[in-house]
Amino acid sequence: MLIQLNQKQIKLQNELQEYFESLITPALRAELNEPEHFEGGGPEFKKAMRTMGSDGWIGLSWKKEFGGKELSPIEQYIFVETVMRTGFPFPFLTTESVGPMIAEHGSAWAKEEIATKILKGELIFGIGYSEPNSGTDLASLQTKAIKQTDGYLINGQKMWTSLANFSDYIWLATRTDFEAKNHKGISMFIVPTDDPGFSMSAINTLGDVRTNATFYDNIHIPENHLVGELNQGWSLITSQLNLERLALVNHGPVEELYKDVLKTARSTKINNDQYLSDLSWVKHNFAQVHSGIEALKLICWKQTWIMESGQLNMAEASVAKVYGSEFFIEAYRLMMEIMGELSILKNNSELTILNARLERMYRTASILTFGGGTNEVQRDIIAMAGLLMPRTR
Amino acid sequence: MDFSELSHQTEIRDSLDKILNEYCSQERLKEYDSNFKHDENLLSLLSTNGFLGLGLNEKYGGSGEDLYDLGILFERLGYHAAPLSLSGCLVDVAQTIQKFSNEESCNEILSSIIAGEVYTSAILEPSNQDPENPITTAKMEDNQLIISGTKYLSEITSIAKSLLISVNSDEGVLLVLVDSDQVQLTELTSTANSPLFKVELDSVRVNRESIIHEKGRGLEALRYLIQINMVMRSYIALGVTEKMTSLIAGYTSEREQFGRVIGTFQAVSHKAADCFIELECLRLVNQQASINLNSNLDCENEALVSKIWAGNACHKISYSAQHLHGGMGVDKDYVLWRYCLLAKECELINGSSSQNIDRLGKNLTTNQ
Repeated sequence: MLIQLNQKQIKLQNELQEYFESLITPALRAELNEPEHFEGGGPEFKKAMRTMGSDGWIGLSWKKEFGGKELSPIEQYIFVETVMRTGFPFPFLTTESVGPMIAEHGSAWAKEEIATKILKGELIFGIGYSEPNSGTDLASLQTKAIKQTDGYLINGQKMWTSLANFSDYIWLATRTDFEAKNHKGISMFIVPTDDPGFSMSAINTLGDVRTNATFYDNIHIPENHLVGELNQGWSLITSQLNLERLALVNHGPVEELYKDVLKTARSTKINNDQYLSDLSWVKHNFAQVHSGIEALKLICWKQTWIMESGQLNMAEASVAKVYGSEFFIEAYRLMMEIMGELSILKNNSELTILNARLERMYRTASILTFGGGTNEVQRDIIAMAGLLMPRTR
Repeated sequence: MDFSELSHQTEIRDSLDKILNEYCSQERLKEYDSNFKHDENLLSLLSTNGFLGLGLNEKYGGSGEDLYDLGILFERLGYHAAPLSLSGCLVDVAQTIQKFSNEESCNEILSSIIAGEVYTSAILEPSNQDPENPITTAKMEDNQLIISGTKYLSEITSIAKSLLISVNSDEGVLLVLVDSDQVQLTELTSTANSPLFKVELDSVRVNRESIIHEKGRGLEALRYLIQINMVMRSYIALGVTEKMTSLIAGYTSEREQFGRVIGTFQAVSHKAADCFIELECLRLVNQQASINLNSNLDCENEALVSKIWAGNACHKISYSAQHLHGGMGVDKDYVLWRYCLLAKECELINGSSSQNIDRLGKNLTTNQ
């Protein structure tokens, strides 16, 4: 057993830190501070993605045939962790969860055209799972793909299609067999957003993160846009979600925030000879956050290590998701308590601290307890796969 | 990065389970519910099978210095609620001597511990929140130390050959081995009926040679002892909570109400899932702390994190287990109740979660 990064990996971490310092230019920072670009999608963002791609960073653990470097998932995790620490809205769902599924199960066209371009930082995906009447019960989805002589005809509506406003494609779950029950009869497609049948309307959220309702009106796509076997899409969805769950709870950003809050507390004078960090309750909050981050880091490292040897275990991916998402909420609260009233000041206000990161983060925190598979379902999975208890109903 | 157990570690776990399954049956454990909780037959069997040499160097007859091996022993002792209290002997005495004593003491003491001789420690003091700063004192007189003070929660002291004691002196903190016939013992009655003692030292005289470490390294040795004790006791907590969680899964998968097993109710399965998550976290922070202690004598923050998780997991999982078992959980004819007592002992010895959060918070805000 060895639970630490090796010398090479620490070197990689340092190298990446330096790399991002030069990659994230003032112009990019300024763009990312514009509300419509919080999640990326602007010209500077696109430029940075392509630079990361051509510098070979996005696909560290990917196979060489796609342009990757065939390093381990640990190196891949370090890359994502480090880029996320910078606050850059890295589209990790595209690169860490949809991308690997396409690389493994896509058609020859998809492997060549899509997977390789994801690694070059040229493509962004939105994920089309939820529908107005299908959320947690995803298998009840109604969006249809009907077989034609030369491909499929797609009709339907998706909800919460984040990033669709600047995505090139949607990773779309459709029903292809209308007789089959539940999880059978679902197929996965790559759907281009430049099709005239594709449209969307914005949904503005509490965290000022834009998401979208997306509409698919008689979109015709060729056969090679099907990923995996026809009617066998459910296993792709669950595999993608396992990868997504791990990527969602990466420990980098919360640890970075913790460090910054600690630094701020240690330099904030509360009277002539005392700093904020001298108060015992402040110390307690830091200790709570720190011991929580330690567990999260180890959960993520272990998951990543498991990926090296094969498939993610369902129970453990769900542990990561439940623990991480609920810990984030608690951690933001504890850190906002430390900074007190100052932490409710917004980014454009005077006296704002830490670029109002706390003020934004707490508003986005709730998404993770239900997004990526609601925590109730995750707990069902843990009880079933981890504790071998009977299926709940 | 490698989270896998080596094959010899899985073997340790399996063969320990074989022995402990037999020695920790309900009938046998019952015998220790009110009697002195120490199974000497089990101890000598562990010795014969080499388990008392876990975490000790081969040159003293041990099986290698990996502390994770030793962690497995404590985890399994906890899992089976074994009537053995060995952290004073195998952790405090053996590990501290291995790291801080000369070759001669190592040869003598470690090989006798491996052979089954009982040693113990007496570190904690009533009304002292800071074990790194003992109230017990040693005065220097010629080549002798004269030790006075009161220790408590010392394990199996009545059958120990000697005790490792922490004292303050003009030379700072010292760790001293004292023969057990030189101290006055009072057996304490505690929640899990563990064999714990109050130890009084009234001007006990020992030779300077009884100090186990080089001059000037006493505080370092004591800090190491405290940290490794925390981590190894957290492994007991891991075993205890692992057993409780598996009892939850088993019981709720069989018990039927409203015509179905209660594990099919989300309210039940989700409480169980939360125990599983807590347990996973505890396992990981323990692993990190024990592995870091292999190569670094001072891992205070990692040890504190593991102790904090242990305290919280013991509390949460114990009450979830009792609740989900209904009346069975408190019935002394069922297995769970002993684990609930052990959980409280694990939670509080070496400081509560709140106390250790306080300590960790101080470290985080000042030391870096």
